[in-house]
Amino acid sequence: MAATKPNVAALVEQMPETDRDIQAKADAAKQAAQPDAPKPKPDRWGAASKFTGPDPAVAEKIFTELFSGGRESVLELLALVREPSDADYKNYKAGYVLHGLVILAGRDGQEKNRHVLSDALASQLSNDKHSKAVKAVFIRELRTLGGKESVSALGKQLLDADLSSDATFALLTIRDGAAAQFRNAFAKSQGRIRVAMIHALGTLQDSDSVGAFKKALNEQDRDVRRTAAWALANLGEASAADALLKSADSTEGWERTEATRHCLLLAERLAASGKQSQANRIYGHLRDTRKDPSEHHIRETAEKALGIGRP
Amino acid sequence: MKKRLKPISRRHFLTGTAAALATVSIVPRRLLGAPQIPPSEMIGAALIGVGGRGPGTFSELTKSFQGIGVGVTKLAECDVKWLDREDNQKTYTDFRRVLERKDIDAVAIATPPHWHALISIAAMAAGKDVLCEKPMTRFIAEGRAVAEASKRYNRVFQIGTFGRFGASRDPKNILTRKIMKSGLLKKCEAVVIKRANLKVKEWSGLVNAKPQPVPANLDWDMYCGPSPLKPYHPHRHGGTHRGYWDYEGGGLCDMGQHYLDPFTWTWGKDDTAPVEVEPHAPPAHPEACGMWGWVELKYADGFTLVFDSYEWGEPYERKNSRGISLNDLDEEGRKKIAETPDPDPLLSFAEAVKARKPAGGNAEAAYRTVTILHLANIAIRMGRKIRFDPVKEVIVGDEEANRLVNQPMRAPWHL
Repeated sequence: MAATKPNVAALVEQMPETDRDIQAKADAAKQAAQPDAPKPKPDRWGAASKFTGPDPAVAEKIFTELFSGGRESVLELLALVREPSDADYKNYKAGYVLHGLVILAGRDGQEKNRHVLSDALASQLSNDKHSKAVKAVFIRELRTLGGKESVSALGKQLLDADLSSDATFALLTIRDGAAAQFRNAFAKSQGRIRVAMIHALGTLQDSDSVGAFKKALNEQDRDVRRTAAWALANLGEASAADALLKSADSTEGWERTEATRHCLLLAERLAASGKQSQANRIYGHLRDTRKDPSEHHIRETAEKALGIGRP
Repeated sequence: MKKRLKPISRRHFLTGTAAALATVSIVPRRLLGAPQIPPSEMIGAALIGVGGRGPGTFSELTKSFQGIGVGVTKLAECDVKWLDREDNQKTYTDFRRVLERKDIDAVAIATPPHWHALISIAAMAAGKDVLCEKPMTRFIAEGRAVAEASKRYNRVFQIGTFGRFGASRDPKNILTRKIMKSGLLKKCEAVVIKRANLKVKEWSGLVNAKPQPVPANLDWDMYCGPSPLKPYHPHRHGGTHRGYWDYEGGGLCDMGQHYLDPFTWTWGKDDTAPVEVEPHAPPAHPEACGMWGWVELKYADGFTLVFDSYEWGEPYERKNSRGISLNDLDEEGRKKIAETPDPDPLLSFAEAVKARKPAGGNAEAAYRTVTILHLANIAIRMGRKIRFDPVKEVIVGDEEANRLVNQPMRAPWHL
């Protein structure tokens, strides 16, 4: 006998009311009983409210029942999710239940549910029935739950100005398979997304991007240049040393501090990978060039790394 | 009446004295222990993040230096809500422009916590010493990065909680620390329970919050900084930011570092972290910090710490509070403790700047303290027991939970 299909909407509605809703009902009851009583003050935050979640055992029962309906029930839930910016937004409940499922699916023994849920979430990123705000919710849930199987769907959002940032966060969290998505997007990107792609590839220490980073050092956009410099440093790319030192020497103010940080980062990465002599060349340069009292700490850091300064 | 101290900018001080030419540190020479320099001199300082705790944090910085006879001149203030009044001379909206000033020796940081680590590291990279408001960070890996930066640049970091200074002068706490640090306890059966006053409901976030237009004077992009750029709502800013995972960690993070600052010193937990964390809480909301009942955190030595909110569910009843005493040791152990010297006094922020040594609430200690709070919150958010490796600094066997240990940052920000 086939199991009874769960009533997803009814399960969602079992989530508690918000504090404001509870208070509003209490106020209405009081007003009905005492029509002359002073009217309650309006909520300072409008429709927004705090809430108290359900007992975890009760919640788990509801989430488990919803999972029993498989992909169909999960998709039914996703269709109910709205964000406060959506015109037809009603309440927080569907999004909250979705997050509850995501957390439950991360437990040991929940691999099947995890697969169903991550697959369903990824599939809805190309469904334009959902608003961008709702798609962003799905992406954020994939940040928690998604795996290698999610990266392709997430990668397709990287050039969407509204979704790129959340997709970047999700891919950087998943990591496995993410670099290829960022490389693809980087080739077609501009402006802030281009900076974010370099930043992401630098975070992942993607050695396949070294050439692109070096080219980016010469781009007109200052944020592109400085992010590329950091990415090369974070990769421990020895061939970037001269460019980074030149940049640090030729700038003033905060930009000099930042560029010097890149040099120190590169030196640390080189030393950690056994390239001590190349690291020492950077430290030696900083020791010899940071003469101003305001940069004494840099000289001291370099001396310490060279084994000739403070312990 | 006390004579008003004449402000001397650090740049002026350095260029105006012959002695300064020989100075090899950015720290004013008078702070390096030169007794001939009169105490009427001042250091330059800045406040980054002026709302809420800002004035109080700067006052702590000032008091600390006054304690060693050094005055403080506030040369700059910075806040992202000053787009309509920044002059880039005294008032700023971009902390980087503050940090590039050579006349500023120390900064007090009182922004929301999602900025604490980045600004602390940037300040130390620029040669400044840092007094940073609690909680130290928004997630675990940030604390390690701050501690590394403090060592790399040999800059002083002091967290804006000071309970450990009092605790470290209390003979009872000194004895507890000596026993805990001795390694003589075969199994630690101590239980510390922190009950109530954790402001859980007060600092929980709103659900159903409809986006609103960004105020004209607020640089919302800069406010969000390394965190996701979410639509603006006033509750996400100005104190109530505490209720959102993007910026802080609810009442637990707001209040916890206060309570744990003396705790980690007394119980000798400045260099380790809990290994097992179990929560009792309703399912967490993905954006808004919410309610929880209790969290039990166990250390590898058997020591147990409990947060009991008293604001949700049944109170914690698994264990009762239990201290330790010399009676927990055998005769030989008691003898060894008696022979063990008391720990060195903790250095205040200013004393640490003067001595170029770690402050009492230094970055490593503050990091270990705030890690306790983050682990508790991760367990609450996961709704399940988690296991932490204090050496590798990762959550073991739980990929989803581990993703909260070292979170990505929004470009162009990075640790």
